[in-house]
Amino acid sequence: MILDLHSHSIRSDDGRAKVENYCQWIRKRELPLDGFVLTEHRQWDAKSDYRKLEDETGLCILKGSEVETEYGHVLLFGVNDDLVAALDFSRLDLPLHEVVAAADRCGAIAVPCHPGRVTVGMCAHYGTLGPCEGVQVIETLNGGSRGTENEEAIALAEQYGYRGVGGSDAHIVSFIGRCATKFEREIRDIGDLVSELRGDAYEAVSFKE
Amino acid sequence: MNEGKKSFADVEFGEDLPEFHPAIDMKSVKRFTDATGMSWSRFNDHEEAKKQGLPGAIVPGIMSQGILAAMVNNWAPGCTTLKIDTIFRASLLVDSTATCRGVVTDMVEDEGIVEVDLTISNEAGETRVMGTALIRLQDA
Repeated sequence: MILDLHSHSIRSDDGRAKVENYCQWIRKRELPLDGFVLTEHRQWDAKSDYRKLEDETGLCILKGSEVETEYGHVLLFGVNDDLVAALDFSRLDLPLHEVVAAADRCGAIAVPCHPGRVTVGMCAHYGTLGPCEGVQVIETLNGGSRGTENEEAIALAEQYGYRGVGGSDAHIVSFIGRCATKFEREIRDIGDLVSELRGDAYEAVSFKE
Repeated sequence: MNEGKKSFADVEFGEDLPEFHPAIDMKSVKRFTDATGMSWSRFNDHEEAKKQGLPGAIVPGIMSQGILAAMVNNWAPGCTTLKIDTIFRASLLVDSTATCRGVVTDMVEDEGIVEVDLTISNEAGETRVMGTALIRLQDA
């Protein structure tokens, strides 16, 4: 099962894609995706309900979040009321170790994304702040990466023994599915996703042309 | 009167606009900045731009927007451009080889409105500018 773990819709301040159009695009272009996760910036979108769209398109549409820490941006999967109460998602300077610990405590998982990117990725910050305890998974393939950013992320994962996931980081429709994560087992809901991410039966994959 | 113009019925979801390589050499950029009163060193002088911390002279953002607007209008002459919405991901360098791409990603039939994803990438295939255009096409 292949899921794009990192995408943004018009609910993000810099997102320009409607979720319906992501689905339409995936089907029209026959992308090898079974679904995607919406990770809107600095917020938890509790209201949006994509079950009808899932039924219509046969795609798995899950919700996460992308928050900001002193080490850069971090994807959160398994967001629930407890985690929303524990963290101020709108902050630009959340302490990463608190995000990782809170996610773990609340049954979620934190995944630092685009680690190779300057300022908003963790690679550069590891040089000055040192490694962050508790991190287990990072995004090693990001569809928006430039230059050697993905190679740097892969090297970081190898150095610290992190598992790697992939996501497109799509902000416009046609970028969905550029990178994704291939799971050995089926994922039907966000609980399945968190459970699988805690294991190791998956790999980051790239479909960039 | 409508001969040669693209109508809503001519367009398909997922349709690619013709790709093109805009002229962003120093001479073309200087011509643009002279015309717009933006003849500043970060656009017109690689060495001076580097002293300002840039990797070289950069193409002005509004020139990129103009290039994308021109691409849309070349594809659909006579269309009404309602919005060009750009996200500048990284600098587009003067004298680089850029490629502009567009693809139809939304169609609102009742209003004859089409949304197009737009990108400008460099020779490494890295997206430097992305965005969307909202255009209204005439009825068939």
